[in-house]
Amino acid sequence: MVRVVVPSMLAAQAEGRQRFEVDAETVGEALHALPVADLVIDERGELRQYVNVYVDQTDARERGGLACPLTGEQEVRIVAMLSGG
Amino acid sequence: MGVLALVGTRKGLFLLTADDDRKSWHAEGPVLDGWGVYHAIVDERDGTIYAAANHLVYGPTVERSTDGGKTWKRSRQVALPEESGLTVNATWCVRPGRPDEPGTLYLGGDPAFLARSIDGGETWEANRGILEHPTRNRWPPSRGGLVLHCIQLDPTDDKRMYVAISGGGTFRTDDGGATWIPKNKDVEFDLVPDPYPEVGQCVHKLLLHPARPERLWQQNHCGVYRSDDRGDTWERLDGNGLPGPFGFTIMVDPADPDTAVVIPEKGYEYHHTVNGLSVYRTRDGGQTWELIADGLPEQAWAAVLREASAFDSESMYFGTQSGSFFALTNSDSWVEGVRHLPPILSVEVTSWSG
Repeated sequence: MVRVVVPSMLAAQAEGRQRFEVDAETVGEALHALPVADLVIDERGELRQYVNVYVDQTDARERGGLACPLTGEQEVRIVAMLSGG
Repeated sequence: MGVLALVGTRKGLFLLTADDDRKSWHAEGPVLDGWGVYHAIVDERDGTIYAAANHLVYGPTVERSTDGGKTWKRSRQVALPEESGLTVNATWCVRPGRPDEPGTLYLGGDPAFLARSIDGGETWEANRGILEHPTRNRWPPSRGGLVLHCIQLDPTDDKRMYVAISGGGTFRTDDGGATWIPKNKDVEFDLVPDPYPEVGQCVHKLLLHPARPERLWQQNHCGVYRSDDRGDTWERLDGNGLPGPFGFTIMVDPADPDTAVVIPEKGYEYHHTVNGLSVYRTRDGGQTWELIADGLPEQAWAAVLREASAFDSESMYFGTQSGSFFALTNSDSWVEGVRHLPPILSVEVTSWSG
């Protein structure tokens, strides 16, 4: 099982749940298993531009993005990249 | 009975309530915290609240609540056909369908799409007549987006409706949405070499008068207009006492087709009011305009967006990008009901029994 942790605004869209355990062999499978999949993956099936996904300590985009393989008990953390002042 | 105002802001939706005198307002919220609520409306057929909610990172959504805003359910992902080459940038407005078509709703958004739901907002299907319109390549996108908004249903004809596009112009369908006819005759677009093109005008807000549905009002990028023949021809009205042609929003009095209210702003490069927060009303179909200043600040450089105004049988309402919400009381005096909200994007009102 893979643990997925989402930020608070996504948790608010998932009845308050911030942590999920899903069966997934790739990051894409893990994200699609979430009730907020449409908020992190766009209508063409791509990871949204300013959504970062970290698998343990590594940015998933460095390992194939949605195709990034997951093995064993890893933690997938979703981060919204926001800036401004 | 009192009144409930749904006030969409850059940081969520606020629910404002007041008694019938509309002088004292109470704010609750935000719900949909953190979401830019471009528009929220109560479906008078069943009380469901719908919201066009967008986020810089999480994208465009439509949300709905059947318990007065306590809990929300998101539509399935709003998408455009892959062969169009287009994807949804933002959802801008939700319009419930007619009383005799429960579950039907319309959605407008960027890039200039109209979608329809027939299952109460769970799924949406894009209208091909708009998406594949033969003039679409002459609708100039601009920095604010290419936005379809102001979906207006003719209450006397189930097949007739209007949409406005910034910038594409006004379009009317007489066949239930299969084909869309440009309705921009005599509407100026003075930024381009041909100032009276067939399409491309930047309509900021379009309203059908509920008591005289052949009458339309529009605040355009280039002037205020009225049509008395379902958009076939337009008469320009901002030379009759308004300080300028530019503004975003317009309100009407549902009991009087000759009354309309606008909030002029300095031209399109500036987007703020001049001479304080000045609101103008006509009671003679746009032949003359009068200032309704009582209760409004003299020192103000405010901005009021397209969806940030509303009207009902008793009053008119608007919100500013500086987070103030105003209601008209006693026909001639404004009350600042709430201040210090996040920038206000939209206002809708409905009756409320607290």
